[in-house]
Amino acid sequence: MTATAPLLEVTGYTVDYATRAGDFRALEDVSLRVAPGEVLGVVGESGSGKTTLAHAIMRHLAGNARERAGAILLDGQDLMRLNQQELLAVRGRRIGMIFQDPATSLNPTLTLGRQLTEVLERHRGLAPRAAWQAGLDWLKRVELREPEALMRRYPHEVSGGEKQRVVIATAFAPHPELILFDEPTTALDVITGARILQLFSRLRRETGVAGLYISHDLAIVSRVADRVAVMQRGRIVEEEPAATIFHAPRHAYTNALVAAVPRPERRLVFDTPAAASLLAAEQLSVRYGRPGLFGRRETLGAHDVNLDVRAGEILGIVGESGSGKSTVARALTGLAPYSGRIRLDAQPVGRMGRTYRRSVQIVFQHPDSSLNPRQRVDEILSRPLRLFGGSVAEIPALLEQVQLPAAYARRWPHQLSGGEKQRVAIARAFAARPRLVICDEITAALDVSVQAAVIELLLALRRRHGTAYLFITHDLNLVRQIAHRLAVMRGGEVVDLLPVEALGSGCEHDYTRALMEASPTPAGRGTA
Amino acid sequence: MTELLFRLLRTKQGAVGAAILLVVTLVCVAGPYVAPYDPEKLDFLGRFAAPGARHWLGGDQLGRDVLSRLLTGARTTVPAALAATLLGTLAGALVGTLSAYLGGRWDEAIMRTVDAVMALPGLLLALLVASTLSKGGLGAAAAIAVAFAPGMARVTRSVALTVRRQEYVAAAIARGESGARIVLREMLPNVAAPVVVEVTIRVAFAVMLFATLSFLGLGAQPPAPEWGLMVSEGRRFLHQAPWLVIAPGVAIALTAIGFNLLGDGLRDAMNPRDER
Repeated sequence: MTATAPLLEVTGYTVDYATRAGDFRALEDVSLRVAPGEVLGVVGESGSGKTTLAHAIMRHLAGNARERAGAILLDGQDLMRLNQQELLAVRGRRIGMIFQDPATSLNPTLTLGRQLTEVLERHRGLAPRAAWQAGLDWLKRVELREPEALMRRYPHEVSGGEKQRVVIATAFAPHPELILFDEPTTALDVITGARILQLFSRLRRETGVAGLYISHDLAIVSRVADRVAVMQRGRIVEEEPAATIFHAPRHAYTNALVAAVPRPERRLVFDTPAAASLLAAEQLSVRYGRPGLFGRRETLGAHDVNLDVRAGEILGIVGESGSGKSTVARALTGLAPYSGRIRLDAQPVGRMGRTYRRSVQIVFQHPDSSLNPRQRVDEILSRPLRLFGGSVAEIPALLEQVQLPAAYARRWPHQLSGGEKQRVAIARAFAARPRLVICDEITAALDVSVQAAVIELLLALRRRHGTAYLFITHDLNLVRQIAHRLAVMRGGEVVDLLPVEALGSGCEHDYTRALMEASPTPAGRGTA
Repeated sequence: MTELLFRLLRTKQGAVGAAILLVVTLVCVAGPYVAPYDPEKLDFLGRFAAPGARHWLGGDQLGRDVLSRLLTGARTTVPAALAATLLGTLAGALVGTLSAYLGGRWDEAIMRTVDAVMALPGLLLALLVASTLSKGGLGAAAAIAVAFAPGMARVTRSVALTVRRQEYVAAAIARGESGARIVLREMLPNVAAPVVVEVTIRVAFAVMLFATLSFLGLGAQPPAPEWGLMVSEGRRFLHQAPWLVIAPGVAIALTAIGFNLLGDGLRDAMNPRDER
């Protein structure tokens, strides 16, 4: 947008992946430029080629990648022509990278201090003592408390948010000109993610670094970036200033992405459920322990939780990771031993019998692990049908209900995409003809657009069967679109339980308000 | 099943392994009928006969034809080693998976018992069991199975622990499936891949262990032609007539390699992810 020489310039870049089935085009004629100090956002779904783009810039492509055309220039220097030796001077030193999962980007066998000082010694040529001091300064700059103690800790001894801050420190410490961000907040919960985003914008102001910010979440990208490029199937289909992309998307695909971003003001559910309680938890407590031969060590997963789901109601449970949301789901489905009382139709539930298990079904978070990889789809669906008095003849109808072709019955789970797997998991839950389905973060692993389709499916199934949902999520914006009431959990306790309309009226708990503030608001109106 | 076989034969290792084992199987079936001599017939003139036109693989210290003994002996060695390994594996895999499924105190108790059993060296354990059972091939096979089971239980449990944490197991528990069904249908098929690989390595050990037991008089009894027994008997004449050891040694090695390759192929073929 300016006439200044770009820091990073990619022109006509095309790359294929050679597979047994022939070449697969990952990126096609991609051109983009990042000016010094500018942040360019790249948005797209899984498989759109955004991570391949990051790897291409880092010169770290997979072995079967075949570069067909184009150039990648960093300050006029063609990165594609550099040899390994010359690349070492670029990677880490001039281009930093921050990955999605902080747990895997740090070496678990080295202390955090060692990993940070190694970068400083290597890229800035500091002596060990000076590097240690500089490392301490950087930990302070990324707002970590007790940096001295932290330097001596190992990655497994600190939280995910702290790890990501250390990763950020190692990326920023060598004063790179450009930093590649690959979904850096996706693995974190909302509040932690929001704080990391604030940290980025502060460090960016302080260091003037340029950035390429890759994410599937348009709301986040539009908050962080100056300009946003939208990728679809390896091509850049639109490039807009971040401030306007939400209001005036030109390309149809961008439009679809914008529409898929959950916005609390756009309600998707309009009915009011009956007053009769379907499932109630009273004083529900769950202790996690490791019982061994020699006593047990216990931690509290949930503490004195009181909740009730009414017939046909959507009750949302929100909270950060570790707040006990999933623990409640596990207790309600008999996966975790609990104390307290559970009532179904006001009748206390003793041992969870067939009636209870049939009435209360669960869909899990990870589509990759919730389907047995050694069973075909029809076998997966036939179990609940047999157990709960259905017949295998219903399988095609079940698949049709979740909008999958009947031919999918003979497929293996690995032949399905993440969204399709989650649809099979939903079909498995509905095979029992349940009255309540517990959805435990079921869209957390999915792209925003796939998430929108899954939510639409859940609502369609609810219209058809009158099913109630216990919808567990960390995405407050999403749950505000669909839930009737909302329970907010923190540290194993329910701190707030209120109708969705009451949010923002001032009567909510302080923590609920903090959650609302942390939830990324789309477009240029957020804090950037 | 035919589908699995087809996929197995499409992998390079699987095809080679299957080919070797096909030959071994043919020898097991037809060996005694194609053997040129009676494997137990003594021939004093043919003692230590060098391999040649008369005795293709030479003669042993009593003048018996090595080739004939090799062809006949396959019938004892290969099925015994295979049966012992499968039995030990199945028992071990079941215990390991069950232990991982039950978890907590049960897991602790089962695994400590396994540790205690594993503290005894495998050969010693096999000796102990074999000597309490009847002499002969069957007792030795059972002894090998007992010696293998604890190790298999340990290997299986470590895999089963990860499987146990998968959400499809949670889903099965949540819909009220029986423990037996969860262990047998949900978990066991998913621990199979590493177990199969382990089996193929252990078949080779089983052949050697069987030979050792035979050598100590607890397995196959002389003068029966058994590969391991042939190696142990021929050892004494290694300098004089190396073919006495080489012939059965190569047979054992080939069989072991065949199983190893087949295992590699199976591991690839059993992974549904590779199906395109």
